[in-house]
Amino acid sequence: MVADILVNGLVRSGVYAMLAVGFGLVFGVGRVLNLAHTAFYMVASYGIFHFVATGLGTPLAVFLTSLGVIAVGLALYKFFIEPVREMEATVLIATLAVAILLQELLLVFFGSEIRHVPAAFPGYSRIAGVRLGNQEMATLVLAAISLLGTWLVLSRTRLGLAIRAAAQDREVANLMGINVNRVTTIVMALGFLLASLAGAAVAPLLPVEPRMWMHPLVIVLAAVVLGGLGSLKGSVIGAVILAFAEVLVVFLVPGGSYLRTAIALLIMVCVFLVRPEGLFGAGATEER
Amino acid sequence: MRSLFACLVLTVALGIGTCGQVIRIGVVGPMAYIQGEHHWYGAILAAEEINAAGGIDVDGTKYTIELVRIDSNEMQPGPEAVGAVERAITALKVDFLVGGFRTEAMLAMTEVAADYKKIFLIAGAADDALLKGRVDKNYDRYKYLFRVTPVRSTYLAQVSFILLREVVETFRRELGIEQPKIAIVAEQAAWANMIVTLVALQAGAPVDKGGFGGQHVGTWRPSALATSVAAELSAVERAGAHIVFTVFSGPVGVVFGRDWGRLQIPVATVGINVEAQAQGWLEATGGFGAYTATVGIYAEGVAVTEKTIPFVNGFRTKFGEIPLYTAGTYDAIHILADAIRRAGSLETDAVIQALEVTDYVATLGRVAFDELHDPIWGPEHLTGLGVQWQEGAPRAFWPREWRPDPTAQPDLVIGYPGTVPYQIPPWVVDHWRGTGK
Amino acid sequence: MYHLRSLIRQVRAEVLVLPSRVIALVFVIGLLLFPLLTQDPYLLRMLILASLFSIYAASWDLLAGYAGQISLGHALFFGVGAYTTALLGLHLGLHPYLTVPLGAVVATLAGLFVGVPCLRLRRHYLALATLAFPLMLTGIVFMFPNFSGGEGGIWRIGRLASTRVGEYYLIVGVMLVAVFSLWRIAGSRVGLIFHAIREDEVAARALGINIVRYKLLAFAISGFTAGVAGALYAHFARIAGPSNLDLFMSFQPVIWTIFGGAATIYGPVTGVFVLYPLLDSLHVLLPQYRMLLFALLILFILRFMPQGVTTWIRDAIETSCPSCRVRNAATRRACRACGTPLRN
Repeated sequence: MVADILVNGLVRSGVYAMLAVGFGLVFGVGRVLNLAHTAFYMVASYGIFHFVATGLGTPLAVFLTSLGVIAVGLALYKFFIEPVREMEATVLIATLAVAILLQELLLVFFGSEIRHVPAAFPGYSRIAGVRLGNQEMATLVLAAISLLGTWLVLSRTRLGLAIRAAAQDREVANLMGINVNRVTTIVMALGFLLASLAGAAVAPLLPVEPRMWMHPLVIVLAAVVLGGLGSLKGSVIGAVILAFAEVLVVFLVPGGSYLRTAIALLIMVCVFLVRPEGLFGAGATEER
Repeated sequence: MRSLFACLVLTVALGIGTCGQVIRIGVVGPMAYIQGEHHWYGAILAAEEINAAGGIDVDGTKYTIELVRIDSNEMQPGPEAVGAVERAITALKVDFLVGGFRTEAMLAMTEVAADYKKIFLIAGAADDALLKGRVDKNYDRYKYLFRVTPVRSTYLAQVSFILLREVVETFRRELGIEQPKIAIVAEQAAWANMIVTLVALQAGAPVDKGGFGGQHVGTWRPSALATSVAAELSAVERAGAHIVFTVFSGPVGVVFGRDWGRLQIPVATVGINVEAQAQGWLEATGGFGAYTATVGIYAEGVAVTEKTIPFVNGFRTKFGEIPLYTAGTYDAIHILADAIRRAGSLETDAVIQALEVTDYVATLGRVAFDELHDPIWGPEHLTGLGVQWQEGAPRAFWPREWRPDPTAQPDLVIGYPGTVPYQIPPWVVDHWRGTGK
Repeated sequence: MYHLRSLIRQVRAEVLVLPSRVIALVFVIGLLLFPLLTQDPYLLRMLILASLFSIYAASWDLLAGYAGQISLGHALFFGVGAYTTALLGLHLGLHPYLTVPLGAVVATLAGLFVGVPCLRLRRHYLALATLAFPLMLTGIVFMFPNFSGGEGGIWRIGRLASTRVGEYYLIVGVMLVAVFSLWRIAGSRVGLIFHAIREDEVAARALGINIVRYKLLAFAISGFTAGVAGALYAHFARIAGPSNLDLFMSFQPVIWTIFGGAATIYGPVTGVFVLYPLLDSLHVLLPQYRMLLFALLILFILRFMPQGVTTWIRDAIETSCPSCRVRNAATRRACRACGTPLRN
């Protein structure tokens, strides 16, 4: 049972963490609370579905999908979000409208049926006596690689330095000669890339349908604030906590599996009672 | 998209081609979804047939049917479903309503029908409470509501129990497992609660006491919208279950079928899984949904009545799919037409009286309404089917040699032509063969 | 006679001088006289729902637009109002006129219940913490299906009035009173303090404002009004179900308010009365592309009028006096209050 919880929890953590890190980056640098983040993940799943159905190999499908998602995402961002970026509530609704727009476009093009994407890694293996699909394992590996990659970019490159500077203080970074707008665009693209990789990874695992963005959105929002806005480490840890909370509920309270999201959210609220800025968030005064 | 256009054109054609006396029937359903689509398709077939035969003869006058497509958008929450029905009644002047899908929306929509005193033939929602507690408690207000399909959830539960018993028997017979362990995975929904409780209670009871003679090893209740049940399935396997009894109406059914087949969890599934009734089941589950067994209405090559196969074939030729149970709008419209003919009037009360004494052989079986305006379930009336996906098609495995009442009527054996035996999935056989426990 | 004359004078001095107030007056009169024109139940239904959602949206505006406490879980108050009135009616058989106010009271308590833990939370943290509450309540609703109706909801709910027109006047009346009260509150000293808290909490605290008290007050007022809307909605739609607590239900008042113009109270009302009938008629015209057009409309409006429609229109037809801040019709040459010449 412990092995079951560990394995299932880890797989779920991987997907949530990929989404949460992308979301957290975009918020940290762009100061955009992007409610459409998981909608891009959905678009990526559909992209994989489309390209695989037309007979392309998985790597090419993933590549084309990521490219498409980044292009669409940046175009929508440049046209609709950037001009109103300063107004928090407006951004909130504009990104929500983008999410609905994407959902409806998919509904028009693909219909509402649940779509299936054949697994790139079919079959399953047994790890510590737990049945684990190879696709799940691939997802976990992909999550690890992309998170590691993100971390390397952020900590080891000049671009990463610029990103971190912009995240800390946009104005000062701008004064220091960093082209903040360009950095924001790059970070946006990075966020979309992570979202589309996550979408590609889960496409064979989840039912692909036009409403699949809602549940992960709630979890990602919760994970990001639980960890502390602006802290990528926090986002990852928040995602892991919520993922394990969900899996624990399934195993320990089987009759209450439907409560798993509610309980994950309850944990978030409880953390807020103790630490209002999340686990690793900047203190309230710094955030102003 | 093209099909939508075709439908619109068809509506217009049906309307214009037959100007003169028309009966307007509103078809209510979530039209962006397959359930609503089949509501509409079923209705189209029925209306075409009736109109092609010259319409409905009401006391000497010929009336043709005109369909009105009402998108209740039931899948999304909000007041739209009710608004759509009210608009259909007041602005589009429909005379009768058929269809409906989600219980929550249906409860509210049928209230509107009652407000405006319009007959509503429910085809698609199973909850008992749609009629029970309404038609019996307040007949004058709710007499306008009838249900054509499916049978109410109590009876659906009963059928699913019979199916579970079949599977338990198969395990005993073929694998020598005397007391199969039964796990329950049911979506968290009100209609499922009673079924879950009963199965959990009966699973361990001995066969002669009406139980299943197995052993209950746990109940899991994922959300109807859950997107992964891999964890639940691991837990089920860990519990050592042989059989999973499923109760799903929502998309979680697809998720379950897919994860189950993909991970080759060594349990047989049986129960209610609405998604598994759809043509696209294998596609939606990536082929992993094979061997899923569920309560169903239509299946490949099974003649419940002499009307079933022509209808299923006609439906497939025209729309390329086998009908979902929401296509019961087909039967609903035929039953309505039958009642109007017998009433010889379009007067609501007269039609209600005629409907109440309906005895009509439909594609689903022989339809007659009980005092709740529910279709009667049982041998010689509606039974439903036990459907299992075998060789790429939904095939019926029940009723095959069903003895509804072995003590009182030992000679009564029900079996529809075209049924096949239930098959335990091969990987489950491999896993349990020779273990004998 | 004297009162009548003073009323006319007041109308002339306070209402007719400003185009926006004239529009509001015309709107109110039009709404009240509408059933004389047509009693089409469908149109009345549309306006009733628009009125209900106006109350709901305006309550969000007070909390988020004025006090700056952006709540993404406003459906909690709406749903609590709806469920309370439905449960009291179902289990105790009380009359709607009793259960609706009780629903609002319980929603107020819910406002305080959410407000207290959220006091320490700022901005996005607050928005996302509030998001969690209605979803958690949905979990509780599902846990006790025999009491709460589970996913099917509660549908044995009494009507507010026996006729549609009766319901119309009742709900429109409540809406006008509620919106007018909120508008007065927003314009009062309390409203100013809300403004101050939103703009700079630290500065407000430094001025000796009891932030805790005013934040809780904002949550309570907002919860109360949203509760009224939810309770009335339950009696009108005759169902209280989990969809009242849904994520989209929480987002809707935000959409309406931002679309109409935040921190105005009349903005959300405009937003609802524009968007709701529009969405509903798209249902007939282009059901397939309804939400698509809706999303596009919102995106374009926000792109070109990021402050919302009413703010944009108001700034087009009115100018604010540079010296005394009194608003004037855009056609005036001099300020109506202090006589300062206006640019033009």
